[in-house]
Amino acid sequence: MSQIPRRTRVRRLAESVLPGRAVGGYANLIAARLRKLAAEGSTGMLPISGHGDGAIFFRGGQVVYAESSRTPGPPRREVGLAALGLASTDVTARSNGAAAGAELAGVPPFDRLAGLLALTEPTIDAVTDLVCSESRYAKFRQSDLPPVPLVSPLSMGTVLAEVERRHQVLRQLAPVVTADTPIARHVPRDSPRFQVSAPQWALLVRSGAGTTPRALAMTLSRSVFGTTIEVYRLLALGLLAVPGHPPELAAGGPRPAEVMSFMRAVSDAGGSDA
Amino acid sequence: MILPAADELLAPVMAIDGFRLACLIDGSTGMVLASLENRDGPAPPTAAAGAADIINVLTLLNGRLATGENIEDVMVTFSDSFFMVRPVGLDQEPQILLLVIADRQRTNLAMAHRSIRDCCASFTS
Repeated sequence: MSQIPRRTRVRRLAESVLPGRAVGGYANLIAARLRKLAAEGSTGMLPISGHGDGAIFFRGGQVVYAESSRTPGPPRREVGLAALGLASTDVTARSNGAAAGAELAGVPPFDRLAGLLALTEPTIDAVTDLVCSESRYAKFRQSDLPPVPLVSPLSMGTVLAEVERRHQVLRQLAPVVTADTPIARHVPRDSPRFQVSAPQWALLVRSGAGTTPRALAMTLSRSVFGTTIEVYRLLALGLLAVPGHPPELAAGGPRPAEVMSFMRAVSDAGGSDA
Repeated sequence: MILPAADELLAPVMAIDGFRLACLIDGSTGMVLASLENRDGPAPPTAAAGAADIINVLTLLNGRLATGENIEDVMVTFSDSFFMVRPVGLDQEPQILLLVIADRQRTNLAMAHRSIRDCCASFTS
């Protein structure tokens, strides 16, 4: 693991971003650039700046890692491969291209899946944040190895399809909540009892006035996208509210429970299964 | 496919008579982790998104009812197919869903239900 603090590292990367390389939407220059790097089988790093600063790392044209200053990186404590004693965190350990799954043989399947997901989700979450209409990219740097090479390679088509699906979900949620919308706990009047999951409870107990889904995600080292959806569910249950817009007063606006549809997001994204 | 290494985990449910599609889905984000399908199977992203939506709605219902129960599985019967969703590992995080779609004419629903239950149980053992 690099000794340089993560925020410092991504700031340094972003300093190299050239002005003028703005992009205008998802189907845009940055996606085209990423596809070109994938088609060329590139190995290296593409620094990106926009709302947040970060970089996407490639090996043989596939995405092996990404980080953004606005999303949590891989958990600081060892999880997944390392926690299971099945992987080294040494940068060189993964430079041979071995897939993460191969090192997880013998581990119970659920733990294997959870471990792989814990390693992959931060990368997808970071790319989702980096690839937006305000993003700019810098010169591609050949052969820069990821600082935390944990993810098994992901095809660019798969990553872009998932990122586009997530952007569609976030567009649906935007009238109700975004990752940066302040939220607060709310006591619903219509029902004395509710049942929430453990992850939802963790969000509820940390939701003070002015907290945002992104801040909660950073605190809990969870996906910003997943946390935003979980906050939306708590808004739909009436256990959270956007200050100034309690659920009872939102009759004229979209009702939280009617907003989000994963299926609509897939169809709006084109339904690709790349 | 986000986790191609997970495809092999779906192999047991391919043995279900009339099997058409199986997916592993991250229930919290709706992301397809792995999928296996026959040639006539429906599109995995759409089917998986539908399964995630169903679980999302039922989770909201469960939250409102507050009976202390958990969703064990969901079975939907279409005119030509069965649509079965089961959380892999109850009370475990992350919430991973197994979706299986099978041909109604060729599938014994009870046997398929048992196969899916056993497959999910094997994930945590």
